[in-house]
Amino acid sequence: MRSPEVKEADAGDAVPVCSLRVGTALFGIETRQIREVLGTAEPQRVPLAPEYIAGVLSYRGEVLTTVSFRALLGLEKWDGANCVLVFDDAENEERFGLMVDGVVGVIAVQQDALEANPSGLDARSQELFDGAYKLPAGLMVRLDPQRLRPSRLAESGLFGSESGSHGRLK
Amino acid sequence: MWALPAFAVGLKVVRHRPDKGDVEDLTKEFLAESQEGLERMELCLTQLEKKPDDDELVAEIFRAVHTIKGTTGFLGFGRLEKLAHAGESLLGALRNRNLAVSTGLISGLLELLDGLRNILRTIEATGTEGERTADNDDALIARLAELKAGESVTNDGPTSQNREVGSPVQSSGQDAGQQALPAVASGVAVAAGSSMQDKTLRIDVEVLNRMMNLVGDLVLTRNQILRSTPGAKNFSELARRLDSVTAELRESVMLARMQPVGHLFRKYPRMVRDLAKTCGRLVRIEFEGQETGLDKSLLEAVRDPLTHAVRNAVDHGIEPAHERVMAGKPLEGVVRLRAFHHSGYVVIEVIDDGAGISTERLLLKAIERGLVTPEQAEAMTQREALQLVFVAGFSTAQEVTSISGRGVGLDVVRSNVEKVGGSVELESQLGSGTTLRMRVPLTLAIIPALVVRSGGESFALPQNSLVELVYVPRHEAEQAVERMGTTELYRLRESLLPLVWLDQLLGLERSANAERNDFYIAVVESEGRRFGLVVDDLKAPEEIVVKPLSTVLREIGVFSGATVLGNGTLALILDVAATGARAGVRPLAEDEIVMNVKPADDETAQIELENSMVIYETGEHRSSQGGDDGRMAMPLSAVERIESVPLSKIEYAGGRPVLQYRGELLPLEDDGNVLRALAEDEATASASDAQKNGATATVLICLRPEANGARRVGMVVRRVLDVSAGRLLDADAAASEEQLVMVKDRVTTVHREFAQQAGKPRTAILKEVA
Repeated sequence: MRSPEVKEADAGDAVPVCSLRVGTALFGIETRQIREVLGTAEPQRVPLAPEYIAGVLSYRGEVLTTVSFRALLGLEKWDGANCVLVFDDAENEERFGLMVDGVVGVIAVQQDALEANPSGLDARSQELFDGAYKLPAGLMVRLDPQRLRPSRLAESGLFGSESGSHGRLK
Repeated sequence: MWALPAFAVGLKVVRHRPDKGDVEDLTKEFLAESQEGLERMELCLTQLEKKPDDDELVAEIFRAVHTIKGTTGFLGFGRLEKLAHAGESLLGALRNRNLAVSTGLISGLLELLDGLRNILRTIEATGTEGERTADNDDALIARLAELKAGESVTNDGPTSQNREVGSPVQSSGQDAGQQALPAVASGVAVAAGSSMQDKTLRIDVEVLNRMMNLVGDLVLTRNQILRSTPGAKNFSELARRLDSVTAELRESVMLARMQPVGHLFRKYPRMVRDLAKTCGRLVRIEFEGQETGLDKSLLEAVRDPLTHAVRNAVDHGIEPAHERVMAGKPLEGVVRLRAFHHSGYVVIEVIDDGAGISTERLLLKAIERGLVTPEQAEAMTQREALQLVFVAGFSTAQEVTSISGRGVGLDVVRSNVEKVGGSVELESQLGSGTTLRMRVPLTLAIIPALVVRSGGESFALPQNSLVELVYVPRHEAEQAVERMGTTELYRLRESLLPLVWLDQLLGLERSANAERNDFYIAVVESEGRRFGLVVDDLKAPEEIVVKPLSTVLREIGVFSGATVLGNGTLALILDVAATGARAGVRPLAEDEIVMNVKPADDETAQIELENSMVIYETGEHRSSQGGDDGRMAMPLSAVERIESVPLSKIEYAGGRPVLQYRGELLPLEDDGNVLRALAEDEATASASDAQKNGATATVLICLRPEANGARRVGMVVRRVLDVSAGRLLDADAAASEEQLVMVKDRVTTVHREFAQQAGKPRTAILKEVA
């Protein structure tokens, strides 16, 4: 995993976006929304928890519920290195973690490169994604941490309630 | 030591204020509390307009006003008190259903709210409640009185029909009993609302200095570690220092959270004095155990209940001086606040030497108010009757005074204390006083727990629900589990215990050879559910710090929190009751299987004790009395104590061994020649290992029945094997003169001289001695 590095923003309305890798796809979250990036972490699994809960981590004396983004995308569990990002849940004043495969870096993205979700998306993707940045190299899907809050995921009911086969895979 | 002089000097300036500042403290506290109460009242008033039949809302509004009135009484804000009193009378009528909710009433109450708010604002700004002529509430008070008088006549408003259903006059006793429930529940709701107040903490400057020094030390150590490398010479020393500094820091922070209960007590002397003056009593307050430490959050939780209790003790407990003289008591009444630690709890008692509570009057009042029927009252024990004081709206005070007597209080006291996991008891002796006892856990955040392993993961099991632990070795694992239908059961001392496999319940992987492995059964009991939780392994018991879980994980329902274990990993804390419920274990009351074998009352428990046997091994296998393996049984009722006696303490008189035991000469019976064997062992052992202490013999101190009563003897045995319930076999079945007993499926001989005691309670034997 490369350490995040900030490239110079070259335009006035460019925002720094942290680019993340999950599987083969690239995702971006605005850096101002990220509280902290933890290195590889091994969350403690919680039996009977929804499939998309990777587990709990001890973070600054709190118990941090961590969401597995792979599970949300319906990908197989992965044993390699991972990276946990910490966000503040604005609604419940509770922090939560998001487990991704890795952080690629921080890039400055022009706001006009952002386009809203297209209408053809399936319900799950519509729920998870928050538009996409049209980058020269390809699309980077924008994520809104507030959409990935564990409590919101549970309410949506789209992502299964109890751990199925996924949680037991090695 | 790396002190921080600048900070230390700066901090020393902050000292806690002398006692005369306490009045200001009280006022500040009162303002904050009252404002909060009024906010709640405003909300409730608007809700009440929509739901005029909601008793809880009325009770809540009433309480807000009552609290203000009660506190102003001793703070000396006469104007506020007058207004609050007028409001309270009106609300009291509303609560007792003499009034119906109408728009006029609600707006009147809102005016009252505004009036109270105005006065509070004046007090906050100027410290007085405003004496100018413009500050006059007479018009408002008159309006409130008018509302009260006017509406009580026209009791047939649009809402009164609904009210009549629940009115005490028409309802039977049973209905009234149920009716009391929602009112109690409302107390809980109030308690939940008020717990957020007071987020500040007063710490001794010394403690803070110490913490600052420790933090300084911590920073210094960190700097040194950053400059050092793992290979450096002083690295291990630095690591050790980091360890000790961290431990000390943690301890001092914990200590800072623990506040002496004395902090709570401080405001009472003045309060009691003023209260006593108002009620015309002579009262002295005494404290005991002020230094008893209690977690800050819990201290806050018991603050209000305790104030209520003290107020009650002065106003209702202590009698007027002339009555005290008549009763032959000292003129001055005493209210004693006593705090002490008792088995993991802090107990705070409010003891008064007043008139005590007359259960007769209590019951009369309860019947009058329709809380119980005369028949029920007849059947109540004194203890049960005393519990009535905890019912909302119940008061035995003959007249309503400015401090208390409207029956709010004790129900709130109880619900507040129970909310933090404590309990409240009331003891009263008519004529000599009343004791209110609150039991509060030491801290909410740290609980003793046992860490168990299951399916490769660690879980914390709170000790308070743990009854006992049973180890099932590998070779017994197969037979130990018995089945009834799909339920797996374990026979624990002849009672059937439903088993719950934790790994199966949680859907964890089981190791491949799980069936062949040994396992542990944690016998747990919570909320009436008793079951055996099967786990793979036990780890050390730990004091764990409880961390809350996020909503999503709480909703699973099986875990009540998480904790970081000593090795840095997280463990989930099991909610025992929820685990049992999930596994389908029913509460005991419904469970017939368990009911049959569980002793239903003390009597059956007694019988069980009578059949309990001490199983021991006699000295020699060829012993004349023992079975082949030297196993013998002795009725537990005959055994007073089991003592381990050094051989050197055993003396011989006329060739017979005797023991000086508690000032008497105890003859020893040594059927199995244990003493000789032990002496021989010691002789050989001492040659090789002279430093070892002398061997010890195990002696059962027994009561042996004899022709003229019973006498104490000591039975020397090789070792005690077990204490267990046994079933006496009939003489026919035994086919010999020996009394046989079935213990754990093995026939064991009962010691001949004690056989007749088997099945007799100890009291019977003791009678024989006398």
